[in-house]
Amino acid sequence: MRRAVWLPLGCGALLALAAFPPLIRLAAVTLSPASLAVLASPIARAALLHSVAMGIVSTVLAGVLGTVFAVLLTLTDLPARRTVAFLFLLLLIVPPQITAQAWIVLLGPSSPLLAPLGLAPRPGSEPLYGPGGVAFLLAVEQAPIVYLALRASLAAIPADLIEAAQAAGAGRARQIGLALELARPGLLGGLSLSFVAAIGNFGTPALLAIPGRYPMLTTLIYQRLTGFGLGSIGEAAALALLLALLALAGASGEALMARRRATAPGRVARLALGRWRRPAAAMVGMTLAGLLAAPLAALLLTALLPTLGVQPDAATLGLGNFRSILAAGATRRALLDSLVLALGAGVVLAALLVAVCHAARRARAARALLAALEVPYVVPGLVLAIGCILVFLRPIAGITLYNSLGIILVAYLARFAALARRPLGAVMATLDPALEEAAAAAGAAPLPRFATVILPLALPAAVSAATLVFLAAFNELTVSALLWSAGHETLGVAVFNLEQAGEATRAAALSVVAMVATVALMLGAGVALRGRRLLPWQA
Amino acid sequence: MRSLLMLMAVSLLAAAPARAGELTLYTSQPNKIAAETVAAFEKADPGVHVSVFRSGTTQVMNKLGAEFMAGRPKADVLLIADAMSMQALKQQGRLLPDPGQDVTGFAPGTYDPGRTYFGTKLITTGIVYNKAAPFVPHSWKDLLRAKARGQVVLPSPLYSGAAMITMGAFTENPAIGADYFKKLAAERAISVAGNGGVLNQVQSGSRAFGIVVDFMALNAKAKGAPVGFVFPREGVTAVTEPVAILKTTRNAKDARAFVAFLLSPAGQRLAARQGFIPARQGIAPPPGFPSAGPIHLMTMDIGRILKDSTRLKQQFSDLFGG
Repeated sequence: MRRAVWLPLGCGALLALAAFPPLIRLAAVTLSPASLAVLASPIARAALLHSVAMGIVSTVLAGVLGTVFAVLLTLTDLPARRTVAFLFLLLLIVPPQITAQAWIVLLGPSSPLLAPLGLAPRPGSEPLYGPGGVAFLLAVEQAPIVYLALRASLAAIPADLIEAAQAAGAGRARQIGLALELARPGLLGGLSLSFVAAIGNFGTPALLAIPGRYPMLTTLIYQRLTGFGLGSIGEAAALALLLALLALAGASGEALMARRRATAPGRVARLALGRWRRPAAAMVGMTLAGLLAAPLAALLLTALLPTLGVQPDAATLGLGNFRSILAAGATRRALLDSLVLALGAGVVLAALLVAVCHAARRARAARALLAALEVPYVVPGLVLAIGCILVFLRPIAGITLYNSLGIILVAYLARFAALARRPLGAVMATLDPALEEAAAAAGAAPLPRFATVILPLALPAAVSAATLVFLAAFNELTVSALLWSAGHETLGVAVFNLEQAGEATRAAALSVVAMVATVALMLGAGVALRGRRLLPWQA
Repeated sequence: MRSLLMLMAVSLLAAAPARAGELTLYTSQPNKIAAETVAAFEKADPGVHVSVFRSGTTQVMNKLGAEFMAGRPKADVLLIADAMSMQALKQQGRLLPDPGQDVTGFAPGTYDPGRTYFGTKLITTGIVYNKAAPFVPHSWKDLLRAKARGQVVLPSPLYSGAAMITMGAFTENPAIGADYFKKLAAERAISVAGNGGVLNQVQSGSRAFGIVVDFMALNAKAKGAPVGFVFPREGVTAVTEPVAILKTTRNAKDARAFVAFLLSPAGQRLAARQGFIPARQGIAPPPGFPSAGPIHLMTMDIGRILKDSTRLKQQFSDLFGG
């Protein structure tokens, strides 16, 4: 069978060009025996241990939560599945610092819930500061990632297989077990991404691990960079190398454990929950209320207050924060820029990775590229950003990317390729080669074959991939914090700047606006693609 | 030799064409304040357009550092929170001296004797307390009282320049003592990254006391937050938000005009309207602030704090984990 080699080759080359030069340049400039010595220090060992522990614990928790939701929403007759799926994905768009902040207040000494009951912890003994809180909040952030990756694989299981098991007398639990066994590539993809996301996460440890005096790799790197200046960039790069190796280990674990199976998507099986339908629905409702509604209510309340700590009543609540942020030209620009960047990164990455993931079945080079793309996802955004400045400050072939949206887009392509790969990789790996062979036997040339056979089958996974990237990029902060420039702001930076200036209520208002914009966009996409079963919440 | 120098000068000029009317400012001022400052300057000096990059002092320094490394710094003027970062840049030879700048009315400690950087205001660090706090503090030592145990939140010198200066000044002040931070840590004080985070914790009642910069606390109080702010009796530390011109500027003329505007009575009155204590004597402080007289500023040696900063940061990081 003849193959279109140049297509995956070109796509892979583009990805590699965006992803690796900044990191290679930075490593070349900064790594030396002296800077590598930091790896032997006790604080680095403690941070490594803590990061691995948090990665494993949060991934187990996120795996349970994400799997329960994926099974219930993809395979069963749970009521209001679309709405629940939509709400569960919203967990991804609530910025982690908002969730953390809301839970700090909810479980803190002045908790509106616990204080009246006399259950509020004494100041200085809050449960969230430290490993428990970090693992819990990381798990909440990562559960939708596991869900998205697993769902793509579950949806690709032919109904006939499940129904055959049912006919052979298998109970509900056995049928679900069988489905999970068949969807193993997706589950492993989700778990490995969750682990990689956990060890690379900075926002949640910054809020909970630093006050809890629990050093982790990302907070340690950030500390070196911000506290000890660019003189210690070598140490930061050495620590980032450690993170990169961990991420590669996580990704290769996935590759080793995933056995490929040939499936061809068709009708999806639908198990009747029977007498478990109501309890399951109640459990789902309570989980969503706790994880989504509580932080969102706290955020909205904050956004309506003139400043934190004011008693909410008719005289104090108002829309002043919304008026003032929407009146500022820079905020409107930031919203628009983040929208363009997130959509652009999502669409470009999904398109490039369809070709590369397809080639990864056969080509070792493509598999190696996919594994290496974990690295820019897991190194701290600050490290990636400094690498980008080193490479793109001077014009390349007459084009200066620095001080334009272009440099942020390139950095996002590098940053989020690992996210986009999971749903695509899992589905592409299970695609039955017979389909393509049949098309080839019928005389279809490589390119039309790709366009008419592979693309339609990959489309739902590609949309999942683009959605994941969009949701992650829309609020992105650590990369763009160094790369934005006058006239090219991003939303994450705008919120961060307000928070830094002590304007917590305006920052909350801007977060609310951003979330409303995202939800409107998701609903709009749902209307535009009605009945096509392409979006992750249309299962 | 002379022709070689000429050649170098010519090639430098060729590499960096002057850009009359265009200035790039890197600053750690909050967005709104930076925008007001730039607008006021552009009004006073029409024909000059200023582009702004704003972030925390450490991010600004990281961006600038990466630009130095790549060999082409983009900023002309720098306006950041503390003199320490400026002193470091001066020692690396990155700043353009401006001996002609008029410093009448500025106390000697507020500007560099070598005239490379100039303080524009006084941002003091004191104690913010929640109205529900068990007592109103008057002294830094009050934060070590048993009633304040577990109730104190402070900014990290790893993230905040003002916090670094405070730690440095406390360490060399016998009235407070070098082991002050060790005692705070033993009393279960917690550290968050920046001043904004400290204020959030105290405003929302998670902690009763915070060490924080004056204007944030007083602005929140003016908006109705249940907080108060005290200038403790041992004195307060201050950062001066200095302004400086980079040696690599491509528009020294307009850069000097920008610095002169910030130091002028008009620029200083703007700072007061924005809620800061002006560095220039004889300009009235904003409402809510005691006039400059009763505020007792601790003495400090910027050069020495800079020299000790790595050790102090390490000590803080060991004590508070961040």
